[in-house]
Amino acid sequence: MEEKAIVVQNLVKQYPKVRAVDDVSFSVDKGEIFGLLGPNGAGKTTTIRTLLTLIPPTSGETLIYNVNTAKNSEEVRRMCGYVPQDVSADGDLTAYENVLISAKLYGMPPKERKQRIQEVLNFLELTDREHDMVNTFSGGMMRRLEIAQALVNRPKVLFLDEPSIGLDPNARRIIWGLIKKLRDEFNTTIMMTTHDMGEADVLCDRIGIMNRGKLATLGKPEGLKAAVGGDIITINSNNPNCSLKLKELGYSAITDSADGNFDLIVNNGETLIPHLLEGLKAKGVVVESVSLKKPTLDDVFLKYTGARIEEGDTFAETRRARQSFTRRS
Amino acid sequence: MKVLSEVRKYFANAFIIAELEMRKIRHDQTQIWVRMVQPALWLAIYGLAMSKLNAMSANIPAGLTYLQFMTPGVLAQSALFVAIFFGINVVWERDLGLLNKLLSTPASRSSIILGKALSAGVRGIFQAIAVIILAVILQVHLILNPLAILGTFVVIVLVSMCFSCVSMAIASLVKTRERMMGFGQVMTMPLFFASSAIYPISIMPSWIRPLAYVNPLTYSVDAMRDMLATGNLHSLPLDFAVIIATTILFLVLASLGLKKMIS
Repeated sequence: MEEKAIVVQNLVKQYPKVRAVDDVSFSVDKGEIFGLLGPNGAGKTTTIRTLLTLIPPTSGETLIYNVNTAKNSEEVRRMCGYVPQDVSADGDLTAYENVLISAKLYGMPPKERKQRIQEVLNFLELTDREHDMVNTFSGGMMRRLEIAQALVNRPKVLFLDEPSIGLDPNARRIIWGLIKKLRDEFNTTIMMTTHDMGEADVLCDRIGIMNRGKLATLGKPEGLKAAVGGDIITINSNNPNCSLKLKELGYSAITDSADGNFDLIVNNGETLIPHLLEGLKAKGVVVESVSLKKPTLDDVFLKYTGARIEEGDTFAETRRARQSFTRRS
Repeated sequence: MKVLSEVRKYFANAFIIAELEMRKIRHDQTQIWVRMVQPALWLAIYGLAMSKLNAMSANIPAGLTYLQFMTPGVLAQSALFVAIFFGINVVWERDLGLLNKLLSTPASRSSIILGKALSAGVRGIFQAIAVIILAVILQVHLILNPLAILGTFVVIVLVSMCFSCVSMAIASLVKTRERMMGFGQVMTMPLFFASSAIYPISIMPSWIRPLAYVNPLTYSVDAMRDMLATGNLHSLPLDFAVIIATTILFLVLASLGLKKMIS
């Protein structure tokens, strides 16, 4: 069997009051971008912290490149890079110094150090600002610097916690480009968490959705979306018999609202619309407008986690999430 | 050989964390200047006023003026007051997720704590320099040979390390900045008063004297007083032994606490 970059095997983490992770197993291939999604409190952070050797598992085991994270933690830490969700670059230092301290903490030999730092600053397009104080940086630059800090050691596995939270759309696109480039050029395995389903869809090769400590589902974004079931066609018509006529054509509307909107769940919505419209026209129903909605990862997320995206937030988590928003923008 | 390289790595990591602090100070010296104000007030106002009291002059070791007696006390006090609140930084870093980032590097937990403690020591040295300069301006007669000054710096670094470790150990239990602020306030004054920093132990209320003898601050004041004021170095080995032992004890406790802090 080919060696995996990350293996999580029957992981359980029990805290005095909650079972944060409840028998979770999955693996990530080398060079894969893997997204761990789920509401706050679902167990994503606990899983990542276990992989980063910050907390020991209650039972089960986690491996990075076949090295047990609980037993050989230092070896694991040397292979990994971590970019936390919050601002973690030191504002009272220059960009160069921030990366320098990281390089030193990863035990990089002085001879290589200088060149590696230049390489990584160059990769993240920060070279022209390397000697500026970080507290003058924009949110996007700060994020890039934090990634530079994690990359200077050339990690085999990079952990990104909400990589684009609080960034404007332009900065976000730049970060996305970098993450892809990193995987394509260096075959770095990337594990990320995000609340942004668009981001997960754009970046991730595979996605695992966690809910209440369990892995609710796992798969490629396209597969997950297809599995949610069908496209939604919404037809607007003033004809009071529309619902009936639809039934005669073999469709049943899931909603039949007073303002004349009828939602149908179908497969391959694009090819079906012309037939549907012809059928309705033949039955004398005038259609005012039609719209097609393909399922998104939002729908996948909602299906597997229920509508409790806000429910699991503790006060501290909410405060943190909002703070990182205000701090970056 | 393996052990040796591990030990080297351990101290190297601690020094990197202290280096981070040094670099920050280099970029922004404001807090160094601001922190000089308090010890200056103790020395220039409290010290000058108290030196007029006969009771005080009568009880300090013969041949010393009150300001000579008190300068080492102010040195220790300035280190204590900064170090005892050091845990707040660590709580802050934990809340921000910075601690997780630091702990995800190959550096070991206790080398991180040692590095943080050294950072507190670095800050302490700057204050010590200020206090000594001020004492010279006030014409306090101190023994200022290089060895005495070096010894004083070593004591200052150790005191700062000791109390910053106390602070970090408590931080790992209380876990919020507000509570940590409270604990810092509650601890500073008793530690300061139950030491020989600003008056001799012999004139303390008798019930508080035993406390003074278990207070590491007493020993650090004593060591600096021996080196800077009296020149009588008999008790120096004991002083250093006590300070080093307590520093190591709290270093271990704070390192154990760090594990608790992030889980």
